[in-house]
Amino acid sequence: MTTSNALPRGPAVYFDGASSARNDVTVEAGATGLRILAGGEASQNNAQDRVHDRVFDEWAYGDLRRMSAPEGVLRLGRRGETLLARLEIRDPNLAATIEDRAEALDRGGAAERRLRRKIVALSFAAAASLSLTAIFGLPALASRIIPLVPLAVEHRLGAAVDKNIHAALDTRHLGPAFACGAAPSETAGGVALGRLVAKLEAAAALPFPLHVEVVRRAEPNAMALPGGHIYVNDGLIGQAQTPDELAGVLAHEMGHVAHRDGTRTVLQTAGLSFLFGMMLGDFVGGGAVVIAARTVLKSSYSRRVEAAADAYSVDLMEKVGGDPHALGAVLARIVGDKDHGMKLLLDHPETKDRIAAIDAVAATGVTTPLLDAADWSALKQICSPLPAKPAGAAG
Amino acid sequence: MTTVDALSAPPPAGAVQFLGNEAAYWRLRIKGAGLLLLTLGIYRFWFATDVRRYLWSNTEIGGETLEYTGLATELLGGFLFAIAIVVPLYTAVASAVLALDTAAMAIAAIGFLLLVLLGQFALYRARRYRLTRTVFRGVRFDQHGSAWPYAFYALLWWLLAIVTLGLAYPWAQANLQRYKMRHTSYGDLQGSFAGAGSALFLRGLPVWLLVVGPIAVAFIALARMVDWNALNDLMAQGKGTPLALLVGNSGVAVFAVVAAATGASLVATLALYPLFAAIMMRWWISGLRFGAVTVRSRLATGQVYRIYLRFLLYIVPFIVVAAALGGVSMYLSGALVASNHDSMPAELFMSAITLAIYVVVMLGASTIYQVVVTFAMWRLAAQTAELSGAAALDGVRASGVPDSALGEGLVDALGVGGI
Repeated sequence: MTTSNALPRGPAVYFDGASSARNDVTVEAGATGLRILAGGEASQNNAQDRVHDRVFDEWAYGDLRRMSAPEGVLRLGRRGETLLARLEIRDPNLAATIEDRAEALDRGGAAERRLRRKIVALSFAAAASLSLTAIFGLPALASRIIPLVPLAVEHRLGAAVDKNIHAALDTRHLGPAFACGAAPSETAGGVALGRLVAKLEAAAALPFPLHVEVVRRAEPNAMALPGGHIYVNDGLIGQAQTPDELAGVLAHEMGHVAHRDGTRTVLQTAGLSFLFGMMLGDFVGGGAVVIAARTVLKSSYSRRVEAAADAYSVDLMEKVGGDPHALGAVLARIVGDKDHGMKLLLDHPETKDRIAAIDAVAATGVTTPLLDAADWSALKQICSPLPAKPAGAAG
Repeated sequence: MTTVDALSAPPPAGAVQFLGNEAAYWRLRIKGAGLLLLTLGIYRFWFATDVRRYLWSNTEIGGETLEYTGLATELLGGFLFAIAIVVPLYTAVASAVLALDTAAMAIAAIGFLLLVLLGQFALYRARRYRLTRTVFRGVRFDQHGSAWPYAFYALLWWLLAIVTLGLAYPWAQANLQRYKMRHTSYGDLQGSFAGAGSALFLRGLPVWLLVVGPIAVAFIALARMVDWNALNDLMAQGKGTPLALLVGNSGVAVFAVVAAATGASLVATLALYPLFAAIMMRWWISGLRFGAVTVRSRLATGQVYRIYLRFLLYIVPFIVVAAALGGVSMYLSGALVASNHDSMPAELFMSAITLAIYVVVMLGASTIYQVVVTFAMWRLAAQTAELSGAAALDGVRASGVPDSALGEGLVDALGVGGI
């Protein structure tokens, strides 16, 4: 920098990438690139001496790459360089000159900021897309996969669930067997139940042979396990006033069997865990987001599944000539006007909505009861009364 | 060919400094936390890379700073690759548990052990990724050796540390550090670890006694207080649960002893944690070796206590303010929901508000911890470290190639540590 026509130059530190030796060099900013000359500023004062300079390297401006460095240091590497040769420039004037000439160095960081904005936008879009996949894609995907899951797998799943159910709900310790219909006073009821189930099953074309059991539980409820196992609580039979009301509930549970909702739930839960837990939510506090999203989405899936089973019940009841409205009637009696708490977390649609939906699609007309009076009264007696008052444990 | 730079006096060859400042780090952390929230965590690869770049490039050893050359896209790729390994593994374990229900427990246990092993494997490989992305004076660090032996070795040491109630922890640390450093090099300069388990044990023993001691004393006291024969007789007669009998037997005294012991242990844990952190940091840094280069840490315990006290000074007001703001917005959104009882959007809104408050508080607390504790500890560790024999750093030949980010991805996917 002694004469006006001399190229801009200044001191720098150079590492050749092959060894850790620190070389104090002089960098000369030429027209097309940098020349890295041995020797510090002190020996470079006289431009005439340059012929004696040892040239370490020449780096074209187009090849320069900015490496991460502390403030006040311009650390340069070379694009595509497998070696880690580095040039560190602390002289602000020289650094500014080089930044001006080498466009790739992104002086001021505008390009980097643009890239970052793009990344943030893309990440946000990815998060939104994965969330939408969880809401809409997963249920659809589960429906596509279900036919591919062998029935044997669902059967095994059902056996495993059955074991848990027995562990949690079995009332054997109170005296009589958990399942009703085996004692001599109960066999007539068992036969009547068999007749009702056979009527429904013949019209249903289910993927599994049904296995319906009435069990000694007071809660008015019924449930379908994966693999065709249906439990009907004694308490539900007590609440049903006509055979068609019981048949309506049975048909609803058969809807779960027909739709393979056991497998569906497993698939949806696994998919949710993958999307919320593995792909999304991995940050401090994200656990709460994951739990909330899974809970709300699971409830929403469950509401859809229940609505589909209701529709199936209506359809099946019409096929066998029963009263398709009976399911609504028994639901109204059991659930009544109970307050549900948060709608967001309901795993069934609200009862009045269910009844309205049933009534909207069910045909009206006079039907004959699916069981005659004798069978119905036998079925009502399928569970002989317990010796002691049953404990009303929650189901 | 190397001449001394006449313009700026070079710092002493063995000096370690930290050049960064807290304000810049606050900005980096707060911005990152916001973007994590916005992208539900997907931004973490870029965030972690920014943080490392900042910490590395501001750590100066003998006048030259470290450089982190890793890319966020590498971390993202490693994560996706890890997902492709972890998801089938989870699925296989879950299916095996489902299919073989007689051996379900055994399979679940084997699956768990496999995941723990894979976690250690991941930590070792992640360390390799970071080392091969750490460049100093144009030469990269390296870690060689297979990660599987390390994973087995680490698993055994951790089991031993757990069954000995932490007494074997110093030797576990010493052996694992030795293993890691033996497989670490800076260019062709071979690393090693000189910290001894016994030295750490002697340093840590008082801490261990004060934390575990009260509980041990309580056990002995309980054993003496309870009339076990009488208790045994009562239980044999089926007169109630063991807990009820214990209380009936020795009354309030038992609870007093249990409460006093747990309380004393808890207080000791909180009060001595900074001391423990100081002991560990000093021991670890002072044990690092690269060829003839040795490191010594002059870290003072009081400095670490100052860091943790400052953390209290930040976190307590933060929690108070957050709780107040959270209470007000919950009240307001609660009123909104109450006024339109049947509407799903109102419920959604209120849930979202509650969730957002929780997440912001958690992210805020984590950010405060990261800046006030983690960053400060890094800075302190650097400023109190001193190299001897630093001349050996001048003639190191480059070696090693960058490793894939699979380990980092596995660490992330398995949740065995932050990236």
